[in-house]
Amino acid sequence: MSAMRADELEIVEEEDPELNEQQFESRTPWRLAWRRLKKDRVAMVSLGFIVLLILVSLFAPLLTALIGHGPNAQYTTKGLSLSGIPVGPGHNGFLLGTDDQGRDVLSRIIYGSRISLEVGIGATFLALFLGVVVGLFAGYYGGFLDSVLGRFMDILLSFPILLLAIAIVARFGPSLGLLIFVISLFSWPYIGRLVRGQVISLREREFVEAARALGASDLRIMFVEIAPNLIALAVIYATLLIPVNIVTEATLSFLGLGVQPPTASWGNMIAEAQTGDLFTVAWWFLVFPCVALVLTTLAFNLLGDGLRDALDPRYGRSHISAARKVRRAFRLRRTLPEPEPVEAKA
Amino acid sequence: MTVAGGGATSRAEGTDELLLDVDDVVKHFPVSGGALDRSHAAVKAVDGVSFSLRAGETLGLVGESGCGKSTLARLVTALHPVTSGHVRFKGQDITSLNRRQLRPLRRSMQMVFQDPYGSLNPRRRVGSILSDPFSVHEHLSRAEVRRRVQELMARVGLSPEHYNRFPSEFSGGQRQRIGIARSLALRPSLIVCDEPVSALDVSIQAQILNLLEDLQAEFMLTYIFIAHDLSVVRHVSNRIAVMYLGKLVETGPTEEIYLSSRHPYTASLLSAVPVADRAFRSERRERIILTGDVPSPVDPPSGCRFHPRCPKAQALCAVQEPVLERKPGDFDGHLTACHFPVVAGEALANASRQTTAVSGSGPAEAVNP
Repeated sequence: MSAMRADELEIVEEEDPELNEQQFESRTPWRLAWRRLKKDRVAMVSLGFIVLLILVSLFAPLLTALIGHGPNAQYTTKGLSLSGIPVGPGHNGFLLGTDDQGRDVLSRIIYGSRISLEVGIGATFLALFLGVVVGLFAGYYGGFLDSVLGRFMDILLSFPILLLAIAIVARFGPSLGLLIFVISLFSWPYIGRLVRGQVISLREREFVEAARALGASDLRIMFVEIAPNLIALAVIYATLLIPVNIVTEATLSFLGLGVQPPTASWGNMIAEAQTGDLFTVAWWFLVFPCVALVLTTLAFNLLGDGLRDALDPRYGRSHISAARKVRRAFRLRRTLPEPEPVEAKA
Repeated sequence: MTVAGGGATSRAEGTDELLLDVDDVVKHFPVSGGALDRSHAAVKAVDGVSFSLRAGETLGLVGESGCGKSTLARLVTALHPVTSGHVRFKGQDITSLNRRQLRPLRRSMQMVFQDPYGSLNPRRRVGSILSDPFSVHEHLSRAEVRRRVQELMARVGLSPEHYNRFPSEFSGGQRQRIGIARSLALRPSLIVCDEPVSALDVSIQAQILNLLEDLQAEFMLTYIFIAHDLSVVRHVSNRIAVMYLGKLVETGPTEEIYLSSRHPYTASLLSAVPVADRAFRSERRERIILTGDVPSPVDPPSGCRFHPRCPKAQALCAVQEPVLERKPGDFDGHLTACHFPVVAGEALANASRQTTAVSGSGPAEAVNP
């Protein structure tokens, strides 16, 4: 009996790994994440919206030329009624109507998306760069350097951002570059703290010890060994930080400290629309920029949540209904959610 | 199981060249009890360990979890600084060197880690992980690095075409092969294996052990082989060192330790090795069951550290610490740290029953087959 078993065992040969080559080839961490993301309908719709938005902002001049209305052109005869009331959506070729000065709301929203994305993505990338570098050093070296950098981040986070931003913009005068700088200045500590926490757990891993045993330098360990394990975290929180920064830009523009009129930005469009009481009869030129802002913010938030699920499947939130995801994203997210550990394990 | 076979006798004995000399090495990890706590407690992970290793030898380091085996490995490879003592590698004291000075030495001193999942970076491709040794120490062209990496992969039994895969696409055994390939890349003379097979299936363990053995013969490697599986250690080692609570309690040639261990702790460890084959059971000694747990290394027992659990302990053991020395009748190189070493044929299980009865800690659990 036992002899027979032994014979059977010997017959069983190791499976030829080449047979599975096709299947194996696609099992990289990123491909697996993409496969999971593709199953998430909410995230895919959001991704589609964001791609569309990026295309729209890239081809803004082309689109407005097709529409036939420049963003700053005032159509005093065609765009305003005799009594000076803006033309409603769909009239006289204005798809989303006109504003109080007879300008095409659609064209202005299209041009406004450029500002929103430029500031939102630009400030986020700057914040990401600063946050990852500072977080890496603070987390890897620990001790005194960590205390100094940690306190510095805490101080920045404890500032009333709006007040300080107003002061800085008032001192240097509003410009797009300054806007990006100010917004990233106050958002990088979020990334920095998250990265720091992640690095503290990563630096104890055996692969870091293995690198040390090989004689690798600190910089090499930080940027070759640890940094690749931060990409997932960085992608997720960058996606969640973009809408926060877009809203901050809109807020500053609303307060007159961001993008200056007549250049269109969603923030200053909303601000201009609600200065008079014209919006009580012509709701469209207040509502449509708001809708654009809300949809964009929502799309980035939902995509960020989907990315988190895809890159770290242990959260296993795929069972949550689409409706609940949207409701959850609607909760006003002025700050980033609490740092959640994103394990580096594939 | 094949690993338990008598492979040890066929192994090449070491040469006369002294490769590694560990001299009274101590490692204490301070326990911080908050800013106001001035007690300065420390975990005495390694507390005065000395041994030496000749080129081509394999030293098996055994002991329970938490006895300081892994810490000792990291002291030998200079991954942790020592609290006191000296480690001399090829005659050079490595404990006083800084990182820059250590770097050239890293080429000839490598480590294989226990966890084949944790020791490979999950976000890097295997080809990139294996090219690390070359990019840290040598300036080679990309093509040359790639050629060497694929050569390495082939040598440890991996398909070189899998160069672009991530660690998650390999099995545990394959990953350990990657870890071995990485340690082998720079042709070191000493490889410290920190429980290289304990995370693997038994069938895979044998493959990895055979690979390590082949590599030793091919590249004239010296191993320090850490394990808690005594049958594995017996298979690979020329010499064995037994650790208990940060100290060496017995060291000597493998067969000598297995056939005539002198320290009661070694004897009890050996009696716990399960034997699958009925035919071998008769020649085994009776089983010695130790009572109690391993004491805390923060506050180790006085005198002989094993005395609270030792079946042969007497009053002297609690007062005076035994030195590691050759006992009468033993071969050269068989050292034991015990006041009352075990004599051949002595029944330790009975002694154990007596002591437990005296201390009143419940009925003796000694089982005679």
